[in-house]
Amino acid sequence: MQALEYFLIPWLDLKLLFLVAAGTFAGVYVGAIPGLSVTMAVSILIGFTFTWDVYPALCLMVGIFMGGVYGGSRTAILLNIPGAPSAIATAMDGYPLAQKGQAGEAIGIATVMSFVGGLIGIIVLAIAAPTVSEFALVFQPRDYMLLAVLGILLVGSLSGESLVKGIFAGAMGLLIGTVGLDPLTAEERFTFGLTGLWGGISFIAVMIGMFGVSEALMQLHHVDKTAVKQKISRIVPNWASIRRYLPLSLQTSSIGVLIGALPGTGGDIAALMAYDHAKRVTRNPEVPFGQGAKEGLVAPETANNAAVGGAFIPMLTLGIPGDAVTAIMIGALYIHGLNPGPMLMIEQPQMFWFITGALVLANIFMLIFGLTGIRIFTKIVEMPRTVLIPLILLLSIVGAYAVNNSISDVYWMLGFGVLGYFMKSYGYQLGPVILGVILSRLLDENWRRAIISEQGSIAGLFKGMLTSPLSLVLLATVVLIFVSQTPLWRCVRGKLGLESRP
Amino acid sequence: MKKTLVKFAAMAALGAVMGTAAFAQDYPAKEIQGIIQWGAGGSTDTVMRTVTPHAEKVLGGKVVMKNMTGGVGAIATKFVYAQNPDGYALLMGAENPLLYKVMGLGDIDYSEFTPINILARGVPILVANNDAPFDTFDEMVEYIQAHPNEVKFGSTGPGGLPSVVTSMIASKIELPVTQVPYDGDGPALTALQGGAVDVMPAVLGASIEAIRGGRIKAITLIDNKPTEVLPDLPALGETHPEYADYFPWGPFFGVFVKNGTPEDVVAKLTEAYAEGAKSEDFVKLMADRGYIIESLSGQEAQDFLTKWQSLTTWLLHDAGQTKASPEEFGIPKP
Amino acid sequence: MHSNRIRSAGELVFHAALFAVSLVLLWSSYGISGFASLSSPGALPMAVAFVMAVSSGLILLDCWRKAERDRTRFLRDILPPAVIVMMLFITGYALLLVPLGFLPVSLMFLVLSILYLRRGGLVFAVSVSLLALILVYIVFRLVFTVLMPAGIVPEAELLAAIGQIFGGGK
Repeated sequence: MQALEYFLIPWLDLKLLFLVAAGTFAGVYVGAIPGLSVTMAVSILIGFTFTWDVYPALCLMVGIFMGGVYGGSRTAILLNIPGAPSAIATAMDGYPLAQKGQAGEAIGIATVMSFVGGLIGIIVLAIAAPTVSEFALVFQPRDYMLLAVLGILLVGSLSGESLVKGIFAGAMGLLIGTVGLDPLTAEERFTFGLTGLWGGISFIAVMIGMFGVSEALMQLHHVDKTAVKQKISRIVPNWASIRRYLPLSLQTSSIGVLIGALPGTGGDIAALMAYDHAKRVTRNPEVPFGQGAKEGLVAPETANNAAVGGAFIPMLTLGIPGDAVTAIMIGALYIHGLNPGPMLMIEQPQMFWFITGALVLANIFMLIFGLTGIRIFTKIVEMPRTVLIPLILLLSIVGAYAVNNSISDVYWMLGFGVLGYFMKSYGYQLGPVILGVILSRLLDENWRRAIISEQGSIAGLFKGMLTSPLSLVLLATVVLIFVSQTPLWRCVRGKLGLESRP
Repeated sequence: MKKTLVKFAAMAALGAVMGTAAFAQDYPAKEIQGIIQWGAGGSTDTVMRTVTPHAEKVLGGKVVMKNMTGGVGAIATKFVYAQNPDGYALLMGAENPLLYKVMGLGDIDYSEFTPINILARGVPILVANNDAPFDTFDEMVEYIQAHPNEVKFGSTGPGGLPSVVTSMIASKIELPVTQVPYDGDGPALTALQGGAVDVMPAVLGASIEAIRGGRIKAITLIDNKPTEVLPDLPALGETHPEYADYFPWGPFFGVFVKNGTPEDVVAKLTEAYAEGAKSEDFVKLMADRGYIIESLSGQEAQDFLTKWQSLTTWLLHDAGQTKASPEEFGIPKP
Repeated sequence: MHSNRIRSAGELVFHAALFAVSLVLLWSSYGISGFASLSSPGALPMAVAFVMAVSSGLILLDCWRKAERDRTRFLRDILPPAVIVMMLFITGYALLLVPLGFLPVSLMFLVLSILYLRRGGLVFAVSVSLLALILVYIVFRLVFTVLMPAGIVPEAELLAAIGQIFGGGK
């Protein structure tokens, strides 16, 4: 009963209610602009809300978080430029829909499914947080490594027509992720003696370049063609289609919550894994994946919003951040005189229920703001390309700079933009590159930790994998997916996929 | 309205003429950049974001704080070093730059900077997984020696706090352990709770909540006297006096400007941050997290840095963890 | 559908370049820590650089075997003038950003590229560019306090001056 009272605090106080709404609204736009991230917004808010009480400050942050994760899907669908890393998978089927003039419908589904995913994430947070966080702690370096390998197998489903080109792109991404001073030993890797490369290549810069700039350059080919008129008659998906995707969204939301709750993995990986999951379990999509399958929208959008609830689980129960945003929130709680840690739930249970309440509220506002104002948003795609392309390029530059206030990130972004343009022109998919960059550190660090923990013995590593139930399950999944990916089999047999076509 | 416009134009013209050369009486004439070496949400970040708003009040200007991560803080250090020494770029950092030279991370360290304020110092502590078969320092050493290389120590790479503390301990006794590297003490402490590592030398502030919550157990404090936060925990310097010479030692947070910054600007910044370090918010944050407020400036701060660098670099060098000898850079032996 | 049996203009050169870069990276990755141990910092870089070299080698080989060329022409279908010009524009932007500063370079870039793409219409180009730049400035510089390179415009001083005016004559 006490819990409900705390839960309702943000609902009943008009000021808090307004702040959640304002945060969510701002979050949708912050998320939609590539280069502006929720992480940035929240760390600026710390300074901004310094003198405030902790409740209003948290309301604003929770709103921005929820709205921002969702907002990334907007630009992904409309322009093929994911506004945030967690929307990369959304672009794969969202953009083809916009090209067919169904952007309104795509945004509608993305919004409703984000709401469903967000809600499931919060429900898990509310009823099972302690259990899930204990489970998340069980993950050993070898398990994180297996998780990364599982992620890398996605190259198979992101490669398009040529697997070997996909493998190249994936390996390239992994390599880009290792550039700079090694985080574990401070050894220089691929720096070629340049200190400017010590900090590595910002992953966001690669993403903006590969998606934003290369897409803008690509569109110059048909700069004179008028843009596709967007039908916006049907935005809210009907009940029947929501019910149809419900089983899938339950599965992908579970993936989202779990991956979100693991410290060290977040919504970006969750969305990609959910996309792959959808691709495997959907027997007969109405439209093939990659050409505008609705399932390809449902999966990543449910998963990344479910990951928000997931990220709060270790934060609120143990004081361990579930992702970059919750890491900053922990800092904010300290600044506001609270001590986030295992005792927070016991000493100040109101914090837990208050945040849960604010999250539900933010989720509702996200649904409202997501479903209204689509008309104005779709106007963006209908803008003449002669204006849109220079604007995208400028925004890409500013966005890449903003990530780490670094000029070299701008150069990298442009470099990868041009490289991405040529790769696209010659039949490479760019998805695997980004996948590689995302997973690089996860794989590299945990592989090394796992091996060091076993004192350098591969046999010890395998023994560890086979004796731990969790590792065994993960290992079995890796093997199963690897074998069951029939295209892979077919491709390996037929000249590594260079000429295979169904 | 017209008057404002004229005033505005005059200001604009003045600004254009002055360029970057600022006069101290006007300082700060524009916003000051505060470059934080570590990521948002980290301990350096939290400390700087708590103290700076109070310093701003004294300064009468705005400090825009930016996180510039990478290269163990070397990227941010280089960035501030490349700016004009006019007091409009502050380096907000931790202890790491003092190790750059011996670690082969370039030759720009705090000797190129003037300390504005060494705000606070952390106290290291040895914590262990709850299931570890030892509760005290002696039991731990005995167990490690009986099971060589089996006990996993969390680390944050060469030069990080865990590696320094491990080197300190190992300088007096045999300590055959496996060091598992993590990219920060947060992830390593998480791994400690999950049992991926057994023991972790960490800073008290980062581990205190997990200790209070009974998620991990404290073995010993790496200092000469027990702390108020955990009064029952023995201090290594008391139980094992052979270590006492090393202490007090710990990571620290400080605000710096590039050498050559006008003296009156340094004075104004020093005053502002000294005032900020006295603020209630900052004092409470530091107490809660188990940090010791130092608030050193001027010669005191220089001496602190010199002593810290000499002790730590030689310790790491003797443990074989450095790429170059401290001697090469004229760092005296402690 | 045999389109992918035929190679496009410039494809061979691109694949060859990727292969060459992969070999350089493989060599560079070996230099990180050699074959020291499985947990060395160079282990994963070496493995992925090896995969890159092998896969790009296979791609190159396959492309080489395709005798036929499709009817694409490099400067028409792969790299048309519009793309070259825009690439030059962004290169110029990147080079001038630090010396001139964010505001003038961005304005120049927007105006020039809109003018080029629309083939004229100076008033339209300037007004759209100004509007867009003001929006970007407000969001990134004022709200998110991203400190773009100032260059020749002393915008930080200007902002402080404006702030003082609005801050009231204290």
